[in-house]
Amino acid sequence: MDLNFTVNGETWALDVAPADVLLDVLREKAAVKSPKIGCERGDCGSCTIIMDGRTVRSCLVLAVEADGHEITTVEGLSFDGLSRLQGLFLSNNSFQCGFCAPGIVLAATELLERKPNPSRHDVQEALAGNLCRCTGYEPIIEAVLAAGAGGDQ
Amino acid sequence: MVISHEFDYRRPSSLEDAIGALAEFPGSAWILAGGTDLVAWLRDDAVAPDLVVDIKDVPGLADIALDDRTLSIGSLVTFTDLIESDLIADHAPLLAEMAETVGSTGIRNRATLVGNICSAVPSCDAGPVLLAYDAAVHLAGPAGERTVDINDWFVGLRQTARSDDEVVTRVTIDVRSHGGIYVKLMRYAGEDLAQAAVAIVVRPDHDFRVAFGAVAPTPFRSARIEDALRGKALDAALVGRVVALVADEISPITDMRASAEYRTRMTEVMLDRGLWAAVGRLSGEGLRYGERVI
Amino acid sequence: MTATYPFEAESPTGDLATVGTPAVRVDGVEKISGAAQFVDDIDFGPGLLYAAIVESPHAYARIVSIDTAEAEQASGVVRIATGKDFPYKFGMYMEDRYIFAQDYVRFVGEQVAGVIARSHREAVRAAKLIKVEYDLLTPLLDPRSAVAEGADLIHPDLAAYTHVPWFFPEADTNIAHWRRIRKGDTEQAFADADLVLEDTYEVPRYAHCAIEPHVTVSRLDPAGRLTVWTASQSPHTQRHLFAQALAPLGFTHKDVRVITPYVGGGFGGKAGVSMEILGAAMATLVKGRPVKLRWTREQEFYNTYQRQGVVAELKVGVMNDGTITAVEHKLYWDAGAYVEYGANVVNAAGLSATGPYRVPNITNDSLCVYTNLPPGGPYRGFGYSEFHFGLESHMDRIAEAIGMDPVKFRKKNAIVEGDELAYGAHMNPSGLHEAIDKTAAAIGWGIEERSDNPNTVIGKGIALFWKAPAMPPNASSASFLKFNEDGSVNIAVSGMELGQGYLTVMAQIASEVLSVPVDKIRVETPDTDRNPYEWQTVASHVTWSSGLAVEKAALEARSKIFDVIHQVYGFEDDSLYLEDEAVRCKTDPSFSKPLRDFVIDGIQTDDGTWRGGPIVASGKFMPEFTNANSDPATGQGGHPNVHYTVGATGVVLEIDKATGRIWVRKAALAVDAGRAINPDLVKGQITGGLVQGLATVLFEDMRFDEGGRMMNPTFTDYKIPTAFDIPDEIIPIIVEVPQPDGPFGARGVGEHTMIAAAPVIANAVYHALGVRITSMPITQEKVAMSYLATTMSEGNQEE
Repeated sequence: MDLNFTVNGETWALDVAPADVLLDVLREKAAVKSPKIGCERGDCGSCTIIMDGRTVRSCLVLAVEADGHEITTVEGLSFDGLSRLQGLFLSNNSFQCGFCAPGIVLAATELLERKPNPSRHDVQEALAGNLCRCTGYEPIIEAVLAAGAGGDQ
Repeated sequence: MVISHEFDYRRPSSLEDAIGALAEFPGSAWILAGGTDLVAWLRDDAVAPDLVVDIKDVPGLADIALDDRTLSIGSLVTFTDLIESDLIADHAPLLAEMAETVGSTGIRNRATLVGNICSAVPSCDAGPVLLAYDAAVHLAGPAGERTVDINDWFVGLRQTARSDDEVVTRVTIDVRSHGGIYVKLMRYAGEDLAQAAVAIVVRPDHDFRVAFGAVAPTPFRSARIEDALRGKALDAALVGRVVALVADEISPITDMRASAEYRTRMTEVMLDRGLWAAVGRLSGEGLRYGERVI
Repeated sequence: MTATYPFEAESPTGDLATVGTPAVRVDGVEKISGAAQFVDDIDFGPGLLYAAIVESPHAYARIVSIDTAEAEQASGVVRIATGKDFPYKFGMYMEDRYIFAQDYVRFVGEQVAGVIARSHREAVRAAKLIKVEYDLLTPLLDPRSAVAEGADLIHPDLAAYTHVPWFFPEADTNIAHWRRIRKGDTEQAFADADLVLEDTYEVPRYAHCAIEPHVTVSRLDPAGRLTVWTASQSPHTQRHLFAQALAPLGFTHKDVRVITPYVGGGFGGKAGVSMEILGAAMATLVKGRPVKLRWTREQEFYNTYQRQGVVAELKVGVMNDGTITAVEHKLYWDAGAYVEYGANVVNAAGLSATGPYRVPNITNDSLCVYTNLPPGGPYRGFGYSEFHFGLESHMDRIAEAIGMDPVKFRKKNAIVEGDELAYGAHMNPSGLHEAIDKTAAAIGWGIEERSDNPNTVIGKGIALFWKAPAMPPNASSASFLKFNEDGSVNIAVSGMELGQGYLTVMAQIASEVLSVPVDKIRVETPDTDRNPYEWQTVASHVTWSSGLAVEKAALEARSKIFDVIHQVYGFEDDSLYLEDEAVRCKTDPSFSKPLRDFVIDGIQTDDGTWRGGPIVASGKFMPEFTNANSDPATGQGGHPNVHYTVGATGVVLEIDKATGRIWVRKAALAVDAGRAINPDLVKGQITGGLVQGLATVLFEDMRFDEGGRMMNPTFTDYKIPTAFDIPDEIIPIIVEVPQPDGPFGARGVGEHTMIAAAPVIANAVYHALGVRITSMPITQEKVAMSYLATTMSEGNQEE
């Protein structure tokens, strides 16, 4: 089936099967590797992408569903240098192995777009679907809170 | 796991075409809305449809609308939509409170309220709340439209009153003045399925609806508990009497998520604390929506 | 005591420029921009083949037949492998495992056959067409029944297995290794004690849950070189085991190359060799084609190493003044179907099962028991987390029984430098007392706190921890270092960046010696053809061991730099020093020669000729004071551990008495890092490790049904913490009592931060509710139902 969609501003015309999952198609045919394969059932959040402005689990989306839609991944946030949020992740040591980091950056980016000055609870809520086994979350929460507070200035 | 079998996919742009597509593959077509259950089941080989009918291009199914006292929620309305809707916040705040306990943001951005009651797992969060709201489920099929009372919707474990050739278009609820609460027992504060759940709606005349989730094969309401509460002011003795009915009313199982004993004991605790909170909310006192009693 | 260390690293004095500072991670920008490459992110082009594995649905069975006929005809199938293709044993410490099952399967999930196909989907489909007939046997799922008289033998040929010399298998039993410690006279000490407390503690199995699943791509090129890209903590160990296991096919070490890019979390689960050998072996059947094998999350749970379960029978004798006089600790480990790695967990725990206390009379028995559950193996903490649960619970109970404050009791017995260890060697310098004091202060120990909420109560707990790296006595590290034209530096090592910040710390150590800033040093992830040897990135040893190797390489480079300067300018080496990327001279303050001017091209002399040339250096470290030769009957005589890292953990928690829900309001953890080369990274280990440890006691639990099948191999039902499930406040405390032989005094901290998490919760729950729970996990359900049982029985007594 035809799949025409936009990934980080670049349009793609691909041929996919109905059973192909968006996560696999992005990684194998659309030149982005930051969405990761972690659990393939929507539990871990490492496959998070932004589709039409909202984070979704690309492991639970059929590729054909993305036809006509616009997708952003961390590669798309990083073309012109790091975002302010990414910079805060760096200075706060908000990641260790880095495997969950792309998904977490996107989840936090979505939150900050909707709630520029989130509470600790808001941050926890926004990130609760993105599992990180390394950091214990605290440095991530601190970075997102710092990004939010800065957004107010 | 990769989806290992093949199927056809269609994305019809009208309700008629969607119904027509279902009719072409009797019993082997699945409707796709948010896909958070269906795609997981496809990966697990739990379902093997010949056709997947994606209804996201069907017009009119994504609306939340208020008509007099009837609130209508289309079958493409996601849990995030419920959380962000002013209409929901003003008229059916229990739906938003429930929605906040479902999955995580990335799931709620796709998963739909209607999909949740169509999957109809015992722990579905929407079930007890829609039961407490006396919701109606609207379907369209080859024979036209029909409405099913939510009390008749859950007919068995993962089974609903929907026929294979029907599409749920929306659910409606009566939004008369009320207080209420959705109490969900989870293994931890993060994303989890309900180990047990209680939904309560109380009207100004102290007409109660009390529904339970994850403590029986389907979500259900307890007429005995509602009868015992009807029209009465809440006091410790009354609450004690209805809490004492819980063990007889529910039929929980022991599984890896919780023991039957714990589910029973916690359902009692949740009903106790939930009743006080629901009545408090009716009078505008006590906990705000979203604040939890367990 | 420092004199007891035959080896002493150079210990630079004076102010440090880089060491001790929170340098920004050298892998940071890559990881936060999506650029960091993990194995699954590498493209292999259209020739890539995919593998799928057929697994045993039975915990114990004899394989009657394997019918692959239908699968061979399936679309896209290139090759099918079974045990017949690879009748070879392998194993890290004990060779008890086959690549594919031979005649028997011994756990649910054991690999029986593999399909290689042109697409992942076709591989999975074909795997479903392979028919295996089994003759079922009764599985042994509990270690105590597996050691009972007359139990079936899971490995009847145990006595013939090859193993390291410090293992002691018991022939004709299911005991693969029995570590015994006998010190003093335990029986007499118990008889003389004022109080003896005895109880049994149970700890289930746990899963590592790195978010990146195991994945490997293997290719045998037409020239006979086998390259394996793998998500591994152990590239050189993998190369060694692949070369050993596949030696019958003609491979030698030089033919095998392991490449390990970034790893998405390890925690011990990616140490040694597990599924990777399947990919490596299968690739030999399809010469020239890369073969990818990636575990599903379910396989990640049931078919990689698991943290072993343990039943711990503990008996402690104490005098009324609080002096511990004897410890008897009997640990029955549920080691699973194959113990090639897990047996060393058992060994490590047996050596140290007294905890960080001075104990004159010791009887430790640590039994590695075969069961028909998945293979046990290394997991952050390596046996110590498991036995600390009972031990540190027990310490609180003894303190209460003799009417002593638990903190005072611990301080009275806490081990100090020079105390004799269970096996006769002596304790290294440590800041244990400081850690206890700071932890107790951080949680307001001794200050009663009451909840305003009538449904909840508040409790506090404290627990100590210690751990030594568990490794072969000669486990070693090496490093290569080279300068570039601009004075920047490349370092090649083979430790793994697992997230802990290893690459950054290696850069900091080299930076300190060479005065080159961290952001001008690139430390590369391993390729076994190019990077020098490292044993493994486990045991919290790489900061120490690989750090020493890097320090030595940097010192060698510095000495070569000084030699060039000496040759050209005549300054004596000992008058030279490095500062701000330049050579300076103590005797001639005007002298300054920037490194970038000569570290490649050398220095031109007055006659127009050149001196020097590219500065390259290497370093290696092997502990030369350890040995594993001890008396099997007593454990005395060896020096198996290099040193211990110690610390303390404390929590304040609030519990809903009705639901059992626990909120950790505050958690403090003090660890003696010797020297924190990067304090931010140490704090990262404290926060992350503590949360991981708390999860093992509060939520996580591997559940198996009566047939030995794991019931919850998903994150839906094996609950690891989310951003909501962390303490409200975490207080990291770094203690620094230098390790004399460590790089700048450093010792490892990676595993230690999760070790005391379980008992500290048990102790705080007891403090809050008066309920002592002796089995892990301590879930809200268990707390609620235990408390309910207590209140009901109290109610009955009142009637």
